[in-house]
Amino acid sequence: MEAVQVLMDNLWVGIGAILVFFMLGGFILLEAGSTRMKNAGHIAGKTIFTAGIGTLVFWAVGYGFIYGDGNPIIGLSNFFYGDASAPEDGLTTAVDFSFQVMFALVSLTIAFGGFAERAKLSVYVIFAILFSAFIYPIVAHWIWGGGWLAEHGKQDFAGSTVVHLTGAMAALAATMILKPRIGKYNKDGSSNVLAGHNQVYTTLGVLILWVGWFGFNGASTFGVADGFFGYVILNTQLAAGAGAVAAMFTAWAKTGKADVPTTLNGALAGLVAITASCGFVAPWAAVVIGLIGGIMVVFSMQLFERLKIDDPIAALSVHGTVGVWGTLSNGLFALPALSTDIDWGQAGLFYGGGWEQLGVQTLGVVASGAYAFVISFIILKILDKVMGGLRVSEEEEIMGLDMSEHGSYGYPEQMALEEVKLTTAATKENFS
Amino acid sequence: METYETIKKWKDANIASYLSNNISLNEFHDQVMLKVLTVAIANINCPKPPCDFTWFITGSGGRFEQGFISDQDHGIVYEISNEENDHYFKRLGEELAFGMDCVGYPYCNGNIMSSNPIWCKSLEQWNTQIVLWMEKESWESIRYLQIFYDARVLFGNTNYIQQLKSIIIEYQLEHPSLLSRFVANVKHIKPIIGPVGQILVEQHGVYQGCINLKYAAFLPYVNSIRLLSIKEGIYETSTLERIKQLRLIERYKDLLRYSYENFSTLITYRMSLLDSITYDDTHYLNIKKLSKEQRKQLKRILKDGKKLHDSVVELTFLKS
Repeated sequence: MEAVQVLMDNLWVGIGAILVFFMLGGFILLEAGSTRMKNAGHIAGKTIFTAGIGTLVFWAVGYGFIYGDGNPIIGLSNFFYGDASAPEDGLTTAVDFSFQVMFALVSLTIAFGGFAERAKLSVYVIFAILFSAFIYPIVAHWIWGGGWLAEHGKQDFAGSTVVHLTGAMAALAATMILKPRIGKYNKDGSSNVLAGHNQVYTTLGVLILWVGWFGFNGASTFGVADGFFGYVILNTQLAAGAGAVAAMFTAWAKTGKADVPTTLNGALAGLVAITASCGFVAPWAAVVIGLIGGIMVVFSMQLFERLKIDDPIAALSVHGTVGVWGTLSNGLFALPALSTDIDWGQAGLFYGGGWEQLGVQTLGVVASGAYAFVISFIILKILDKVMGGLRVSEEEEIMGLDMSEHGSYGYPEQMALEEVKLTTAATKENFS
Repeated sequence: METYETIKKWKDANIASYLSNNISLNEFHDQVMLKVLTVAIANINCPKPPCDFTWFITGSGGRFEQGFISDQDHGIVYEISNEENDHYFKRLGEELAFGMDCVGYPYCNGNIMSSNPIWCKSLEQWNTQIVLWMEKESWESIRYLQIFYDARVLFGNTNYIQQLKSIIIEYQLEHPSLLSRFVANVKHIKPIIGPVGQILVEQHGVYQGCINLKYAAFLPYVNSIRLLSIKEGIYETSTLERIKQLRLIERYKDLLRYSYENFSTLITYRMSLLDSITYDDTHYLNIKKLSKEQRKQLKRILKDGKKLHDSVVELTFLKS
């Protein structure tokens, strides 16, 4: 019986790894749909090659920095991971590695959201290496790898902080250094909508992410024995639904329009928010956490826009702002039975746990967020100097990164038509 | 000898002194357009029109609600169709559209201009066309009918337009479903008051924080008042005049209690958008530049407009 359980646990986490990896498919559609046609091939393609880079770096050093023996700041063994041993009790480390590498890739993809439609391809290559080695693994070690925040009892079930906030902070640093896309802001400070080219892609992307999240959160139980993963999936589903509904109603109340991209970001916000707390809270609390996440994402998107921080796919709001909320929500809603009683931090404020857990969560958010932001900012600033700018030239940005960085358009027929129109207009202008 | 250029110069030099008042501004526009007509007739090298005719304007001009700058909307009805007349008015129509553009009334995107054969016909052809439009009941034909209903004679025989409009009025009395088709054509209005009672402004672009006066504020009034006017057989074209006439009918007294004042205020707001350069600018009002009192007043007017629109839809739409 015990052997069956071990196999089942390994199988479940293996399936989880596949589901989490498939989230990259969701990101491809989400990002491509939310951006313009001339960048579609680039946005989709770069996700695949940065996943390749991320995997290799994580295998070489990332996994070791997180789970290797070391100190409270960093792990320092298990580099170039390679353990083929069969399980005796618990997970094989290969299954664990497979699951963990996918999380790192998701975080990396989130970070690249802030680069969209204007960063050079070479910047993606170098930042993918540095992020996968020195940014994500350090935060993951602090919270999941037995580092100093884990010692404080920091609760982050599946990675609101580790995966989402870390990625979003790198995205913030990139967005700030890259500056807004051409045409995003007018001279008088008002902003324009640079609408994504395919809402159906974006929607399908969100649905794929949603499904993938059952692995992201559900398999973070690391086992199936007591069926607890079902409870985690239930909370995940409730929060996502609540987030979508809340964002749609908030957008409608604010602007009179039930905006589709905002609704989609609401669903993602619900998912990000519940990621930290899915294994700690009651289902009703999951609904509240999702609802608040969905409302927050709408206001956060507006705030960044007013601050002239151009965030093409709302990565900062969905993964950053809401990632913070998700992490803090544990300090409010964590049930004693799922925290104190199993020796994983304290119960939340609403369950007599006092301010302690909320304090630990806040500390985790501030420390992890600050680390991810500062290091990303420094790395990108250095790259900016060394590489002669992070951003493609004005002409390249206008022609689209598909052409400038890869030499062919994702929509060749369509873009050829656009080119004819542009040339005709330019000719007319010159001769009129 | 006057040319389009001299008219334009004269218009640009004088328009500023008419900007304080909607009536005088619209009378000034009328004067400009009449000058254009004179030059157009002279330009086609046939000094005397071969038969009696009417040159009418429609749209905001027809309703006597033109702002500082507006595009052209006009048409011709002439007495009898024959080869000579058809040829003459075709040329006159084309010349008029060109001349209007020259003096600063841009071409109409919807092609409602005398240069378009649909809007330049003999009385009999117009008669047939209007009946066809009503029988056809397509989205486009119903829209044309409503545009035609705002027609106002600028030059020529006034009876033609009255005669043609009476066809619509009589037809809808016999076929109440026509009014429902009219309603369906204008039923959609841009949401302007949010669920929590705030004024909904443009979220992006250079008009961020503004409301689109034309779509959000004017159209609910203009469209509902036109619908009631068709229903009640009122020939006036200006929305304010139509309201005056409608208020004489007992059952509309309550419904239209504030409409006259509200619409007058809206016109005043639009008159305040004077530093505009392009046509679009005259429609956008930045509510942040209004005082608290003005904002409150505007909100009330917008709410009343929506209420009026909903009530008129309810009154005139036949539920099948």
